[in-house]
Amino acid sequence: MIDRLLLAVATRALPAAAREWMTGDLEEEFRRLASTHGRWRARGWLIGESMRNVSRRASTKSRFPKPKVASMSWIDLKLGFRMLVKYPGLTLVGGTAMAFAIFVGVVAFTMFSVVMNPSLPLKGADRIVQISSFDVAKSQSESQQLHDFKIWRGSVHSVTDLGAWQNSSRNLVIPGVESSPVPVAEMSPIGFQVGQGEAHLGRVLTEADADPAAPPVVVIGYEIWKSRFGSDPGVIGKTVQLGDEYPVVVGVMREGFEFPVAHDAWLPLRLQLLDAPPREGRATSVFGRLAPGQTLETAQAELTTIGRSLARDLPQTHQHLEPRVTPYAQQDNMGTDDFAFLFAIYFFLTALLTLICGNVGLLIFARAASRENDLIVRTALGAGRSRIVWQLFAEALVLAGFSATVGLVAAGVFLQTWGTGFLEANLGRLPFWMNLQLSPKTMVFAVAATVFGAAVAGVMPAFKLTRGMNDRLKQASAGSGGAQFGGVWTFVIVAQIAVTMMFPAIVYGERYLMGTIDNFDMGFAAERFLTARIDKDAAQDRARYAQSLQELQRRLAATPGVTGVTYAQSLPATGHPDARIELEGPDGKVTATWATLAAVEPSYFEALDSPVIAGRAFTPADAQPGSRVAIVDQAFVELVLQGRNPIGQQFRFAPEVDGPAPPPEPWYEVVGLVKELGISAPFQKDRAAGFYLPAPPDRLRDQYLMVHLPSGDVAAFGARLREIATAVDSTLRVSEIRTADALNNDIVWVMGLWVKITSVMSALAIVLSLAGIYSVLSFTVTRRTREIGVRVALGGSRDRVIGAILRKPLIRVGFGVLLGSGMVLAAVIALRGSDFPGANTPLTVWHFATLAGYVVVMVVVCSLAVIVPARRALRVEPTVALRAE
Amino acid sequence: MDTITLGEFEQLVLMSIVRLDHEAYGATIRRDIETRTARRLSISAVYTTLDRLEQKGLVRSWIGEPTAERGGRRRKHFALETAGARALKAAHRDYMAMATGLERRLKAL
Repeated sequence: MIDRLLLAVATRALPAAAREWMTGDLEEEFRRLASTHGRWRARGWLIGESMRNVSRRASTKSRFPKPKVASMSWIDLKLGFRMLVKYPGLTLVGGTAMAFAIFVGVVAFTMFSVVMNPSLPLKGADRIVQISSFDVAKSQSESQQLHDFKIWRGSVHSVTDLGAWQNSSRNLVIPGVESSPVPVAEMSPIGFQVGQGEAHLGRVLTEADADPAAPPVVVIGYEIWKSRFGSDPGVIGKTVQLGDEYPVVVGVMREGFEFPVAHDAWLPLRLQLLDAPPREGRATSVFGRLAPGQTLETAQAELTTIGRSLARDLPQTHQHLEPRVTPYAQQDNMGTDDFAFLFAIYFFLTALLTLICGNVGLLIFARAASRENDLIVRTALGAGRSRIVWQLFAEALVLAGFSATVGLVAAGVFLQTWGTGFLEANLGRLPFWMNLQLSPKTMVFAVAATVFGAAVAGVMPAFKLTRGMNDRLKQASAGSGGAQFGGVWTFVIVAQIAVTMMFPAIVYGERYLMGTIDNFDMGFAAERFLTARIDKDAAQDRARYAQSLQELQRRLAATPGVTGVTYAQSLPATGHPDARIELEGPDGKVTATWATLAAVEPSYFEALDSPVIAGRAFTPADAQPGSRVAIVDQAFVELVLQGRNPIGQQFRFAPEVDGPAPPPEPWYEVVGLVKELGISAPFQKDRAAGFYLPAPPDRLRDQYLMVHLPSGDVAAFGARLREIATAVDSTLRVSEIRTADALNNDIVWVMGLWVKITSVMSALAIVLSLAGIYSVLSFTVTRRTREIGVRVALGGSRDRVIGAILRKPLIRVGFGVLLGSGMVLAAVIALRGSDFPGANTPLTVWHFATLAGYVVVMVVVCSLAVIVPARRALRVEPTVALRAE
Repeated sequence: MDTITLGEFEQLVLMSIVRLDHEAYGATIRRDIETRTARRLSISAVYTTLDRLEQKGLVRSWIGEPTAERGGRRRKHFALETAGARALKAAHRDYMAMATGLERRLKAL
């Protein structure tokens, strides 16, 4: 032991290139001295030799040639390509897995880059800015900045081409074509220069068009021109109806132009007509370009000075207001620098890539271990460790390269086909700069992920395989030893199987949620109702709007085929606000509780064909100001009233829990009881105790229309609905037209996409696990063929011998299955405190039986990988095994 | 062709290689020189010189079989090249040319 230690120390300072024979010389000399002069003399010599080596290495430049660091050559890549063809199973399984990992990474990276770190697809994009006002006292943006814009235009020098725009949505009415809302920007004409938009036909807006005395004109977008005007070149000069205005079309923009955000029509912003006291008027956004030589910082400094001056002059309104200059694409709620969220996403992607490539590395290790003799020969011929590592890295890089190509193509197709739909389902219509294409940044990410994946899949097994190669050279010549699956691979297999157990459980959870949402019972025949959102033009007065809503309801009700028309603040099954109420209990004590509020037009229940169960329905008089009546549903009776008769009960709104105590609210009296009609949302955890308050349509916060059509094509009535709405009032905007049973289709669609993705991940995880288990068992059987032969030849029962050989790998598999089951159970328990629908469903024997059955199924699935190696082991003939070397 | 001039230690190493013939490798060369000259040499010093001689083309090397007394490690054998033989002969000739007639006086030093 001491001798080995001394030898190890003595050889430490030897140059690596010559270490083998120099160490051999030292050992030989040590043994000779030990035999001639005694062990201690030999040890003394060895210590002296160590010191001489160290001192020599420290004081002189080493004259030994620096070992040439091996690097990858094209031959390695050629060999890597041959390996792909020679081992099609590994290529298919490993390649598919890596391609999927790259696909997920590229899709997520592209989406998050576009949302979190957007950039304008315009020349000089970094110099296009927006100026906004921020109220530091309220910690929120101030959008009513028309007054400030007029001041900035006259005083700011660091930002040129200053312009403003106001957002509106107006019905575009074209005879013979279904009218529908169009996003319109009332914009300073300079916006066409800043947004780099040229007219495809006609011209863009000019400063002359912004003159109050100029005739009304409009420029329309390319897509509108195609879809609504049939690409008619004669559109220029035509008068169109846009809301209640009749502008003349003077231009059609080039394809793709949607500046300032996602707009399809442009009207001139007539500032002189807009009188705007400070912090009043319509929401206005401001854009511009940094002047030559100016930076964001210098522009910010100038705006800050102007802001302070305004705060002095207008302390009532501007004391806490700060103007801010930011890159244009970083609009509110976009480009938020949420490092923690980004870090979590990238951590997940890295973990996914590492796990998948680690498992591919396991397969590559098994493949390389089967070529161990080849590697030993290479080492004997002088190949250093780094040479072999480069070779295996090259093999993994070729596989990763092909996989990355497949993954990139799939990601590109996915982003073009579903990516925009996915983002729009979550964010609404996307700004023009959010283009889900594979950018150079994404390509760099893909290359980095490929190299990282190849390093995990190739370098890790290479280091493991080449560790102690000299010893294995000796052992190989003695007919024993060889590469073994050690601790790292055990961890990889166990982790892979445990994670594989999670994926089908996640898919099950997602499908359960989808089913809950899709099959939600709203309590009425939802498929026979058409719903729509009604909005008014921003400039329209409330009295006219109220009249228009009533007239629309009247005309719809008079339409053949319609048996009920009503309005609601929120549609059934889409979520309603919670409200804290207090009511007197049987013991006279007033207690507070939470319930869910739905504000509806008085004929709501009649229109839904759901008459009251007890008491009475609302009357038009109930919707008048000062009325204090309510109708509750059956869930309210069970959860809040504990089964008491609701008719005549009283409740009132309670103050917020931590808020100051305001004067007590007036009491509301319950006059009716209905069954549950979708106040609960399918994605809510708990059943909602619902109560309804009556209001006239124009006093609802939002106006959602519901039309009952007992027969005929409900969806097709949408066009008729638009016609009638336009005829009543051309400024009424009708949107979100869909049948009541399709209200959550967006959510279901997004969830369906997740189900597809996680199903593919599950399938891949299962195949990878099976491949990993198969590799380990196959490798074990091959390695121990001779041992199997010897044991059977000596009389051992074949089955017991096979069992002994395969026991350890199977224990790992079993451990992975158990660990995975534990993780599934832990996740179920952890979800119980969450808002996940059904999270508080009591766990029954059925649930545990399902979990047990799932474990059994996974064990059976994993066992599939055992069959072939076990059969091969059973077919080993002792005489053949003993002859084989 | 110019003959390479050898350093003093290089001459010792080459002479040892000539003497040891097929058994000339690091350990034996070091032992031979140490025994005959009573110098204390480290293995690395010997290999430094051997490597330099090989770079000059005066010796060649080849890897031998591993042996048990070397812990299963291989040997690196050395043999004289033609240029090495020529250089050694020249060095010996020069030394003898200088030493001729000085034997008695060198012994008396």
